[in-house]
Amino acid sequence: MTFEDIHKTYWPKVYRQCIGYINDPDAAKDLTQETFIKVWQQLPKFRNESSIGTWIFRIAVNTCLGQIRKDKKMPKSELPMGLVAEVLEDKEPEMQFLYQCISELPEIERIIIALELEDLKQKEIAKIVGLSEINVRVRIHRIKEKLTKKFQKNER
Amino acid sequence: MKDNIDFKQYWNKQKIETPAPKELIKKANEFKRKTRFKLIAANLVLLATCMGISFIWFYYQPEFLTTKIGIVLCIIAMLIYLAFHNTLAPLLLNHSLELDTKTQLKQLITLKEKQRFQQTTLLNGYFILLSLGLGLYMYEYVVRMRLPWAIFSYGSVLFWIAINAFYFRPKIIKKQQTQLDKLITQLKDFKAQLTD
Repeated sequence: MTFEDIHKTYWPKVYRQCIGYINDPDAAKDLTQETFIKVWQQLPKFRNESSIGTWIFRIAVNTCLGQIRKDKKMPKSELPMGLVAEVLEDKEPEMQFLYQCISELPEIERIIIALELEDLKQKEIAKIVGLSEINVRVRIHRIKEKLTKKFQKNER
Repeated sequence: MKDNIDFKQYWNKQKIETPAPKELIKKANEFKRKTRFKLIAANLVLLATCMGISFIWFYYQPEFLTTKIGIVLCIIAMLIYLAFHNTLAPLLLNHSLELDTKTQLKQLITLKEKQRFQQTTLLNGYFILLSLGLGLYMYEYVVRMRLPWAIFSYGSVLFWIAINAFYFRPKIIKKQQTQLDKLITQLKDFKAQLTD
């Protein structure tokens, strides 16, 4: 697989992963870009020990976890109002609400649910985050419960 | 009220524009060039300073042993700094990204704790060696001065050293420590989220 193919196939997946984590389109774009810069740099070193997808998601997840640390320096409340308003635009309200709910979860839960929604096998998710498959399954179940409750509350 | 919400359907509605990979490769190259340039620049500046100091030794031929010891101490201080910069800096930049999150966090915490220790020790060491070196180096020239000038020379150097020791050094250390402590706390929090 050439870098161009990888870029084309995985850019949307990684972007969704990042925006699920941070719920801010600009920051997500930067994170996705950072991930692909690392992918491009490390690609010659990639040995087929894991699938290319697992490898890319690992880099994306680690990049995301690296980002929040920088981000905490600037709490959301300090962002100019315009930026927040843009995010809250009323297109696809369910989608917006889902991404918002996910961004309110603890960091590791955000990552796990984003990978699950990206249709990754639980075995692969376990490999990416370093948990057992059973643990991942339990966590996904709990996170989905949390999200369902939030959606039900929102409908009321 | 729905119990079975199809989250995947909403998840995939996110609009995405995939940019051209060409731009990305250009940026990646730029980044690589900049990182390399910074490392080379730090090396060149300090090595040039070392050469400048050595030049004094060969050109002016100091007579006192103290002067020579002073020069050696200053050079050692800078070389130790460089050795640290050249070994730990790339490690911090290129730590394994493709490890699973749990292992990666563990590694990163160890690395950052090491960095926290080294930064303080290194800065203290660098400072002590440089001050000591400077003090010894000056001695030969100061003993040839008249007493008031000698007092003035040593006095001003001691004053400068004191400002560094009691103002800049704690300030820099505190700044580095606060940042690293914050980072380590966050990493540990992520790691705690990953315990079974």
